[in-house]
Amino acid sequence: MNELAIKELLFKMADDQLILGHRNSEWNGLGPILEEDIAFCSMAQDKIGQSLAFYSILHEMGESDPDKVAFTRNAGQFHNCHLVELPIGEYDFSLIRHFLFDTAEYLRFQSLTNSSFTPIAEVAAKIKGEIQYHVLHANTWIKQLGTGTDESIQRMQKSLNMAFPYALGIFEESQYEGDLLSENIFEGEHILRERWIEEVDRVVGQTELILPDLAAEEAHLGGRIGEHTKHLQPLLDEMSEVINIDPNAEW
Amino acid sequence: MKSLDPRLNRVDIYKYQQELKPKASMDQFETYEVFVRAKDGKAMQHEGIVHGPNKEMAFLFAKEQFSRRGACVDLWVALTSDLMVSPISDNEENIYDLVQLEVDDGGTTEAYEVFHLYKRGKHHQYQGSLQAKGFHDAYQNASEVFNDGKPVLNVWVIKKADLLCSTDEDRVIWSTLSEKTFRDAIAYKALDKIKKFKEEQGTGNKL
Repeated sequence: MNELAIKELLFKMADDQLILGHRNSEWNGLGPILEEDIAFCSMAQDKIGQSLAFYSILHEMGESDPDKVAFTRNAGQFHNCHLVELPIGEYDFSLIRHFLFDTAEYLRFQSLTNSSFTPIAEVAAKIKGEIQYHVLHANTWIKQLGTGTDESIQRMQKSLNMAFPYALGIFEESQYEGDLLSENIFEGEHILRERWIEEVDRVVGQTELILPDLAAEEAHLGGRIGEHTKHLQPLLDEMSEVINIDPNAEW
Repeated sequence: MKSLDPRLNRVDIYKYQQELKPKASMDQFETYEVFVRAKDGKAMQHEGIVHGPNKEMAFLFAKEQFSRRGACVDLWVALTSDLMVSPISDNEENIYDLVQLEVDDGGTTEAYEVFHLYKRGKHHQYQGSLQAKGFHDAYQNASEVFNDGKPVLNVWVIKKADLLCSTDEDRVIWSTLSEKTFRDAIAYKALDKIKKFKEEQGTGNKL
């Protein structure tokens, strides 16, 4: 099997989850109501747990241990898409990002349960339930606010328009797409994107929201090859504050 | 003073509006009752309440509020005001003996769910489902079907149609719960760390 291709796939999935998990945890204590605060932070914790599962596979393939990989790289060494590194903004943006990203995650892991690379297939099968709840959470909120008041619909629409081209960047293709496909490791970003558009359209179609015109949108690319927005490095600095002061700290 | 927490600074809570405003009325969601079944074979029981704008949202909140640590295979939610409750008896007295309701048999027959409280401070436990023509009818039926003489302090009755229940397809959302020990305080081994710290300081138990 093509080890480089597998590693690249693992890094981008794990980095997406770690960075979004960290971002979403920033709502801890600041969520709109107590119940939602707890639910959103639980899901952020799930995301970080999922990234740990993939960093652990990478460790078995010869990379550094998960803590090192998570806390000691610079922005240029991260493979996450731009969508997950953007600041949390207002809650409407965080919910829209959660919806767009987790719908893609759900479809990605549904597909990866059939991966010929067993360690990935096993993690994909294991986290199915967590992601099922994340998608239920996202879809319920989108329906709630996307059919709510004029203000809620208008704010959700504005965030959807803003986040959409970034969300298209989730599906930035790898130089190994062909290898992944021919070795039945992963079906590839292109087909995933097609399924994602169909599913996002289905949910948005149940609301007053309008999906941006695909033909007019240009995806924000570069994240997968280490080119990031200005927002990633400050996040990494904050995340690694403790390990930078004391590399052997236990917490 | 600015907070040392970067998250607080980011949300701009330090911007004050330069005006007086009328005091806002209470802006609270309705409450929903949450019932959890921890394991197959165990009874469903009342766990608490969540706020929410509707049943679907309450279900989302209830899932993390009441099943983010303890095991769960089944979750129900219902609007608090959809629940009909009997008075509460004194200990050792059976409410079914003290309260008998007149049954109006005009209604249409449908399914009702019945919960009992056996001890103060404990949870209401699910007894089962029965067909009835109204809440009074359901209560009177329950007094025959679910009353084995053990004192029942309090009875709750709800229409089955008013409950939002998880389905078999939902069960998987709790599948990794048993591995999330980091959510339990014990996982942080705080006492071990305090002990080690004391030993390093050479202060024994005096600290």
